[in-house]
Amino acid sequence: MGLETTLSLLSWWQWSALLLVPPAIVALYFLKLKRQPLEVPSTYLWRKSIEDLHVNSLWQRMRQNLLLFMQLLLILLLLLALLRPSFRGAETPGERSIFLIDNSASMSATDAKPTRLELAKQKVAAMIDSLDGGSVMLISFSDNAHIEQGFTSSKRDLRRALEAIAPTNRSTDLIEALRVAAGRSYTVQLPSENAAPSTTGEPKGQLNSDQTIDAIPAKLYIVSDGKFADVQNFSLGSLEPTFLRIGLADTGNVGITTFATRRNEEKPEKLQAFARLENSGDQPVERRVDLDVDGQPRDSKTVTVPARGGQGIQFDVDDVETAALHLKLSPGDSFTVDDEAWTVINPHRLARVLLVSPGNSLLERALNTARAHELAEVSVISPDLMESEEQRKLAASGKIDLVIYDGRSPKTMPQANTLFIGCTPPIEGWSAGEKQAGPQIIDIDHAHPIMQLVEMSDVYIAEGFAVNGPPGSQRLIDSNRGTLLAIGPREGFEDAVLGFGFYTKDDKGEATDNTTWPLRLSFPVFFHNILEYLGGNRTVATGIRAGSAVNLTAPANLQILQVRTPHGNLKDVSRGKLSTFQFSETDELGIYAVEGPDHKVTQRFAVNLFDPAESDIRSRLEDSIKIGYEKIVGRAAPQPVRRDLWKWLVALALGLLLAEWYIYNRRVYI
Amino acid sequence: MPTALCLEAVGAYGKFGGHQPPDVAAFEPHCPIRVFRMSTVSPTLLDPSLLAQLEKLELVSRKIFRGRMKGERRSKRKGQSVEFADYRNYVAGDDLRYIDWNSYARLDKLFLKMFLEEEDLHFYALIDASRSMDYGTPSKLHYAKQLAASLGFIGLARADRVRIETLGQPVGKPAPILRGRKSLWRMVDHLNKIQAGETASLAEGVKNFCIRNSGKGIFVLISDLMDKQGYEAAFRYLVSQQMDVYVIHVLSAEEIDPDVKGDLRLVDCEDQDSAEITVSAPLLDRYRKTLAAFVDGAKTFCTRRGMNYLLAKNNVPVEQLVSSYLRQRGLVR
Repeated sequence: MGLETTLSLLSWWQWSALLLVPPAIVALYFLKLKRQPLEVPSTYLWRKSIEDLHVNSLWQRMRQNLLLFMQLLLILLLLLALLRPSFRGAETPGERSIFLIDNSASMSATDAKPTRLELAKQKVAAMIDSLDGGSVMLISFSDNAHIEQGFTSSKRDLRRALEAIAPTNRSTDLIEALRVAAGRSYTVQLPSENAAPSTTGEPKGQLNSDQTIDAIPAKLYIVSDGKFADVQNFSLGSLEPTFLRIGLADTGNVGITTFATRRNEEKPEKLQAFARLENSGDQPVERRVDLDVDGQPRDSKTVTVPARGGQGIQFDVDDVETAALHLKLSPGDSFTVDDEAWTVINPHRLARVLLVSPGNSLLERALNTARAHELAEVSVISPDLMESEEQRKLAASGKIDLVIYDGRSPKTMPQANTLFIGCTPPIEGWSAGEKQAGPQIIDIDHAHPIMQLVEMSDVYIAEGFAVNGPPGSQRLIDSNRGTLLAIGPREGFEDAVLGFGFYTKDDKGEATDNTTWPLRLSFPVFFHNILEYLGGNRTVATGIRAGSAVNLTAPANLQILQVRTPHGNLKDVSRGKLSTFQFSETDELGIYAVEGPDHKVTQRFAVNLFDPAESDIRSRLEDSIKIGYEKIVGRAAPQPVRRDLWKWLVALALGLLLAEWYIYNRRVYI
Repeated sequence: MPTALCLEAVGAYGKFGGHQPPDVAAFEPHCPIRVFRMSTVSPTLLDPSLLAQLEKLELVSRKIFRGRMKGERRSKRKGQSVEFADYRNYVAGDDLRYIDWNSYARLDKLFLKMFLEEEDLHFYALIDASRSMDYGTPSKLHYAKQLAASLGFIGLARADRVRIETLGQPVGKPAPILRGRKSLWRMVDHLNKIQAGETASLAEGVKNFCIRNSGKGIFVLISDLMDKQGYEAAFRYLVSQQMDVYVIHVLSAEEIDPDVKGDLRLVDCEDQDSAEITVSAPLLDRYRKTLAAFVDGAKTFCTRRGMNYLLAKNNVPVEQLVSSYLRQRGLVR
């Protein structure tokens, strides 16, 4: 902040005129001395006093001079104020300002010192410091937006909230932040004549028809590196946007955008780990890639990543049953978040499935495929044995993951997930409609894991019954005769009920096909899904990004899982509504371990950045962003504002005047 | 000066009259000179409660004086009264009426009966009515008149001979001699006629007074002593008198603790002499010291010459001054 004055703008004669003022004052001061006459009874005593004082009249003169000096100083201050001195200050936020501060992964880049986010925070802090009575709201955004501080004019609160903004490893999405900002800029204004409470007894806070909602104009500062897509279909309304660009447009970066493992098709016992590196710089870059398996260095390769391009890399990992793989690029660059990647190989566990069937070759065949063998171990018992003591104990023990009842319900429900085919569970909530001929499938809930990739448009069903599930159940297959497949929760388990069997028995006891489904490709897919979903052997998806939710599975009798984050914190996850464990605190990058009881790691999953858009840390090339139809030209820094000092000078002069008056009036001695 | 005051004071002796609103002195707007707090109120000279209080007092003289007329005061002189004092031998020419015929019959010798003489006391008050006395609230002059009236009333009540004059009293026109309670209204009337503005100096006034009144008695000088020629000459005249001299030095509160500020040109109201001052704490300190030295000087001067000195501030009520301070000094009893 340099002192930038207009002093130099004056020409020599103006200067001389100004410089003549103080001598003029001194001259006037001595010429003046217009003493106020005051009639007194007698000057007798006064004369004597003055005569006495003549001896030390220096003090008197000093005192007069003090006043003179003060007057000179006063005039100088006023002159200086008239010259309008100023300094260069940070831009002042307006009456209402909203700061959108990007804390996505790319803001951790160090091309701006110390980091882009820190620089952004510094710039915002400077503007907050120059806040002059207006109110400011702080919003941090990555792929979602978070209000760090609502509208306030307290600089302390704002600074504290600003300090609290931490970098995340998430991707960037501006629209969420814009929605929050626009929503918060609205306020209800009551017309003054309607300010009185309504006579109709309407509760306060409810909008009357004649109340208006007006958006209060606010300045919107988007402090970001601009690594987000232009925002479509959004009107800024009364927000007046400013884009403060952080970071350099030519910063190159090499990052890992994919890292996964795959079993070798030819040699299933061998694992292949493959990764993809992306280079966003203008120059080809050579990087060494180190692979650690369970913390031990396993392999190292050097690759050259072409400019503005990607390069795949592959490692062979032998004899690994379960492992945590860590890939690291060296040397690092200005964006370190994507220089590392993790992936895990989870132990393979077979689901234990019990099929209670009088003999169903179609079903058995569907559960007997090679893929089904990889997923589950299926044992078959006859319905007659179902009620035996041994089977009941087994069913109650929780050791079985899934029981499939084909055509006949048990008396008590097992401690396992169930699939009922052509029959309903013997518990409250489930009911079956009348058997009806020729139900036609209308709709399938493909979003549910059981129905993924299950296409049933070519399936005909001879007869079936509508299934009504308990509250909270989901309808998976709808027909013109009612729901044919529904799934509902039961104390941590899930029961799926299919409203038609695969055979019907005629009067003679001969079985005929009830449906063409077993002939279709969707049939084994469906049972594969069943084994995967209800068998509890769903593998955790790979490529989990920071901040996204992960569905975890656990043995059926567990209610609480514990997840150890890469930093070693334990987080409890309890079973959700749909009997799944959903874990969403995945903000850290690295390997998360899922621990069952007695802290035994049952499975692990890895969270990575894997976002080519974030890895490309070149800040927005074009200097503007587009929101709706509005083009916002970015600036690299807040506009320097001329800050006038004259107010302070005048205030100082006023203070001086008061002091002078005090000295004059109160007869203060020096 | 409002003449209603005297009537009120007289009437108040019997019954208390209505209270007169204070008379505000006219302010001259064209006058460029600020005035050092001119007197703005003129309260009554004597109010009934003061009179009632004063009635119980009497003037005391430490010296023995020869009165001219019979008074209520016991004199050292033997004279005509009912109180027997002594016998003495008859000498030819004595009044035959006073011969004690009883003792003549017994002893065959002529003795003359002598009785205690009751005499009057001469009380003189000399008021400084210069312009400088017309300052303060109440004005020093008013205060002086009030004081003189009070002491005069005490004298009148005891059938003493009272004369109140001013420094500028014309030589050929002496103030009336008052005697007896009935003269109260005359005294008040006379006092009310006294106006500030006399130009006679202190020494001159005292000298004239001494020439006019050569008798014995109690003499009270009421002045602010603000005379550029000094008070010493005036006091020396008094020393030569055989009177019991009291100097009552009247100062206004504003003189004792001046409330002034800024750069000022002080104008003397009497001789238009001006003094330029810049008010500051040291100057005010110096002023107070000068004033203290002035007062102390006057007091020492008086004490050394057998005169009584009393400093009276115009914010001390007259009744308090008379009944307390003057009583302590022995002027009244």
